[in-house]
Amino acid sequence: MLNYIWAGLIIFSLVFAVASDLGDYFTDEFRNGEEYDITLHFPENAETDRRQDVEFTISGCEPDDQTRCTFQARWFPSDEEKELVFAIQDGMPEHWLHVAANQDARDTDQLRTLVVGFDRDAAQAAIVLPEVHLVKMRSITQAAFDMAEFAVTLAIGLIGIMALWLGLMKIAEDSGLIHKLVKVVNPVLGFLFPNVPKDHPALGAISLNLSANMLGLGNAATPLGIKAMEELQKLNPNKDSATNAMCMFLTMNTASVQLVPPVTLIALLGVGVAELFYSIIIATAISLTVGIIAASYYARKFPEDPALLTEEPTPDS
Amino acid sequence: MQILSILVLPVIIVLIPLYGLIKKVRVYEVFVEGAKEGFQIGVRIIPYLVAILFAIGMFRASGAMEMLIGLLDPVLSLVGFPAEVLPMAIMRPLTGSGSIGVMADLIEAYGEDSLIVKMAGTMFGSTETTFYVLAVYFGAVGVRKVRYAVQAGLIADFAGVIASVAVCYWLFG
Repeated sequence: MLNYIWAGLIIFSLVFAVASDLGDYFTDEFRNGEEYDITLHFPENAETDRRQDVEFTISGCEPDDQTRCTFQARWFPSDEEKELVFAIQDGMPEHWLHVAANQDARDTDQLRTLVVGFDRDAAQAAIVLPEVHLVKMRSITQAAFDMAEFAVTLAIGLIGIMALWLGLMKIAEDSGLIHKLVKVVNPVLGFLFPNVPKDHPALGAISLNLSANMLGLGNAATPLGIKAMEELQKLNPNKDSATNAMCMFLTMNTASVQLVPPVTLIALLGVGVAELFYSIIIATAISLTVGIIAASYYARKFPEDPALLTEEPTPDS
Repeated sequence: MQILSILVLPVIIVLIPLYGLIKKVRVYEVFVEGAKEGFQIGVRIIPYLVAILFAIGMFRASGAMEMLIGLLDPVLSLVGFPAEVLPMAIMRPLTGSGSIGVMADLIEAYGEDSLIVKMAGTMFGSTETTFYVLAVYFGAVGVRKVRYAVQAGLIADFAGVIASVAVCYWLFG
């Protein structure tokens, strides 16, 4: 399942990127090669074959509240080609901003345009914006690399808070906080596990595991849970097949009330996690209730009689 | 509510060592021993984070995520479920370390204080990696026919997902 979702994400990204880039190509989204007529304003007596700061005005442009027509730029003349480079500024034509944001350049805050048809005397010219191709293909590749890098910085960044929290939780574990909770959990269990004798060690292991889970002590919880399963297995007449008690236990385990959120969530959200203590307690109380109801319903629907169980047709036999 | 939120972390940070002292635990040494685990977890989750984050990152960058959310949102918003948290609801029962990646992606995309992140965080905290837990526990005792354990677990997960959204609307919405 996970394999398909994961591969699906990657493959679908590629398909979607190709489709989107083909769409851009056919609708000429970035109008590659389009020329914009401008008038250049050189300082007085300037030599136009020197690099310098200039201003330019877009021809036929009417300034209003939203748009301006005259901008600062840097003039880069050479024998072969002349370039006009300018920073992205408010009031520029929307299409220019669009091109700038999607161009294949390290610095998307500026446009490096090619000057064509420069008329020195009239200071007229036209500029051509950089061509934009395969935007989505470039961005998915970039995203894959960026995120791979981010994953490691993220994981390293989580270590500090996780160390703090796991240190505290280890103190909680060693000082026997679990046993405090066991006293609360224990009375309910006899009712939920009718087939387990009252003094059987399974109940003890179950309540320890559930209590450790509630405190978010994952490390302590797993061995206790496996112990609980081993005890339940001793009561199982049909060793190959799960008992109702096992199903109930695992449902309660996966849906258990979380008094303390998982350490990774605490590390991800930092102190902001505080509010979520309450939402998580309420949400888990609801899911635990629903889980218990579902497990009891199934237990009644599929009784545990070993004779019935063996007769049950199984899909793989 | 707000005061309770501010209190919960300092109370835990102060009371646990205090309780440990009362119970005669060698708190400093035990703390350090537990803290070592933080480094191990940090390193252990890296491959999972890389796998999930780069796949989701590509999916987002291609514009497919936006389109998927756009498609699902009209349907899901009928019941008040934001489509943005769907990746968490899908990934959480499948992979624990992977859903850390989903969580990180949502924090990047929507900001730490957004309702989306609170919902996803509540989901992350309130549902378990059901398939993994079942595999570990049943595997440990050699039970092969798990009967209705998967269904019951997933029903509880589903309830947890719905409850997370509802509770977050109620508390933070």
